[in-house]
Amino acid sequence: MRMMAEGGSMKLLRIEDHLGQFLTEDGSYHAIDEITKDALLWIMEKVLDSAGELDPYEDEKIKNQAHQVVYKSIYSNLKALEDRRQEFIDESERLYLEDYKKYIEDASQQGGAADTASRRH
Amino acid sequence: MKKIDLHIHTLRTGSDSDFAFSLDAFKRYVTDAAIDVAAITNHNVFDSSQFRLIQQEIPAQVFPGIEINLLSGHLLLISDGADMASFEAKCAQVSIKIRNATDSITVEELKAIFGDLSEYLLIPHYDKSPAVRGAEFTALLPYFSAGEVDSTKKFVRTIRDDEKLCPVLFSDARMKEGVTELPVRQTFIDCGEVSLPAIKSCLKDKGKVFLSRQDGNNLFQVFEDGQHISTGLNVILGSRSSGKTYTLDRLSEAFKRVKYIRQFDLVQTSEEDDEKRFNSEVQRTRGRFVDEYLSGFRSIIDVVSKVEMDKDDRDISEYVTTLLKSAAEVDRRDAFSRVKLYDELEFSISSNDGLKELIASVIHLIENTEYRSVIEAHVQLASLRSLAVDLIQRFWAKADKDRNRKYVNSIIKDVKDRLRMRTAATRVESVDMYEIALNKRRVSRFNEIVLALQTEGVIFDEPVQGFRIVASKGPFTQASEMSAAIKRQAAFREALAVYNNPYAFLQVLKNHEKLEGSDIHRLFVKITYRIINKDGSDVSGGERSEFRLLQEIKDAQNYDMLLLDEPESSFDNKFLNSDVNAIIKNISGGMPVIVVTHNNNVGASISPDYVLYAQKSIEDGQKRYRLFSGYPTDKQLVCVDGTAVSSHDILLNSLEAGTYAYDGRRRIYEAVEN
Repeated sequence: MRMMAEGGSMKLLRIEDHLGQFLTEDGSYHAIDEITKDALLWIMEKVLDSAGELDPYEDEKIKNQAHQVVYKSIYSNLKALEDRRQEFIDESERLYLEDYKKYIEDASQQGGAADTASRRH
Repeated sequence: MKKIDLHIHTLRTGSDSDFAFSLDAFKRYVTDAAIDVAAITNHNVFDSSQFRLIQQEIPAQVFPGIEINLLSGHLLLISDGADMASFEAKCAQVSIKIRNATDSITVEELKAIFGDLSEYLLIPHYDKSPAVRGAEFTALLPYFSAGEVDSTKKFVRTIRDDEKLCPVLFSDARMKEGVTELPVRQTFIDCGEVSLPAIKSCLKDKGKVFLSRQDGNNLFQVFEDGQHISTGLNVILGSRSSGKTYTLDRLSEAFKRVKYIRQFDLVQTSEEDDEKRFNSEVQRTRGRFVDEYLSGFRSIIDVVSKVEMDKDDRDISEYVTTLLKSAAEVDRRDAFSRVKLYDELEFSISSNDGLKELIASVIHLIENTEYRSVIEAHVQLASLRSLAVDLIQRFWAKADKDRNRKYVNSIIKDVKDRLRMRTAATRVESVDMYEIALNKRRVSRFNEIVLALQTEGVIFDEPVQGFRIVASKGPFTQASEMSAAIKRQAAFREALAVYNNPYAFLQVLKNHEKLEGSDIHRLFVKITYRIINKDGSDVSGGERSEFRLLQEIKDAQNYDMLLLDEPESSFDNKFLNSDVNAIIKNISGGMPVIVVTHNNNVGASISPDYVLYAQKSIEDGQKRYRLFSGYPTDKQLVCVDGTAVSSHDILLNSLEAGTYAYDGRRRIYEAVEN
């Protein structure tokens, strides 16, 4: 089952026609029980980048019981991740920050110096 | 002038290596070295019967004393010996408290035992290990008359410093059987009467304390026969095989912490070997800098090493598979798997680190006094305080919430485990998406850092005595370079194949049998050194030797004496004149330097403080080595046996190949000039 994403804010997980669906990189929607590991990883990244929304899980909105199980689990996991998004951003920015600056800026300065030197020759 | 040695051991204690006391050795020492005043200072013990025997037999004034272990270091405590019984009883109390080398007493205990410390002569280990330091030093300072040092260099340095105690140099020798070389570490004091108060008052006046009997602190004794040398710069002259190197060898044996640069040590042998040796030496000495440069990277590796992307991948895969399977079986769910908690996720608990750092930063702002006015110009201290209180309350609230969540998690887990045991439904594996996402960031940032590290560039460019040491970084291209980086042979072909993917490369290194954890961070980036001369090109063989000599001489500052055997062996005069002489002269301002030379550029231009002339003669068919010495302005150089030679003749013969050659050269120079 494939459905194209429509305009407006991008839904990463949505409930449409009583079915749970997920978005893939090519912009198409698929039934939640077809989700793969790679698709889930891609959605995780999007959640952390605040690049989309998640339709909240509600029992009554999904008829298919299998969809209920999968949607509920994935939604809960992604929601927990979304709730910690700011913490994640702070933590990843702090990741090796001092050394990151030291080595990366060092390298760019070196590059700059080398450029100047080569221009001089 | 009195020669004193107030630190002598005559009993073996727990702090000494085994030795048997010899009264004869003590007698010979006092007689041959002409000691006027001695003190017996055994470790934490005093034996009055042995002391009385020594006092009767030894032809010198001897004081009873004891070397006491304080917590920080050792202290010499010397008595006037008027009430021997009382002194022995007090020392016995020290012996009870200090039974082995690691025991010690406190300053309070010392005062309780000995009473008024100003009745004794107190000398701490000062610039000598183990030194009395810190609070113990401050508490006892009013009672100290002098501080013991263990080298001429330290003596001279300390006596010149007005802030320091008066230094004393003592033998700290064991009077034992079979002593071949007599100690030469003693101190001279300008003191008429030999009593403890007179010695104490002398020691409090640095102008009355010397290294030699006649030459103040300019000379000091180096050999048992009475040979002295300068505390500054000495030049040893003499023809081939006259005993110059032999003299340096003897000095090197007689003293501790001697830097000895032997003849030809620095001369190039083969171009390839030399270059290799040179590079490894530079790497060794600069290694610390590179270690520091890579230290941050090393800690990143420690973290990234624990990231298991494969496992993360498996975890997420298992989660999706088990979830889909469980969904497919939804119709077949039983009473157990239908329980809500069966599918419930555990609470994800965030870290407190960010908040902790934030609180620490605010407290830092509040407590900083150095920039208080700047801070207060922008933020009121009261606001900062209430901010801190707010944050700390949040922290507490979060900690409470986390504690509750953890508790609930443990209940959920327990219930799920029990339900799972009863149901046939597929168990959905849990997954920590936060950690997996963070691991991905860790790896991508790690890759980014490594690639930046591997970009060709200069890490440091340091001018060193006319040369420049340049350390560059770049990627490894060959397995052999990687072996060289860890100074061990290991196979790196497999690792090199994935070198461009730092995380994959790290996995191969982690599983490499021959690598240790401490090697790994050295294998990501190749560090190479170049020494560049004044013209900006790589140094030649000769320049390498020059550089090494300069480095070795500079390193000598960490020692107490520098011996230099014929530095001219491999250097041209211009270099000796311009650089080496200046550095040697400079170092000799702070420590004794002894240079053996034939070269007039070194020997004469350097203007030594003291000249020694080594001579070999055959007397009655026996070889005899003599050393003549004197100040450069002395007309004669004198040997300890009383014989003398003309300074003028020696200088001309040693440095100018004799009067005839010298005159010849002089005429040529004059002719050229005219």
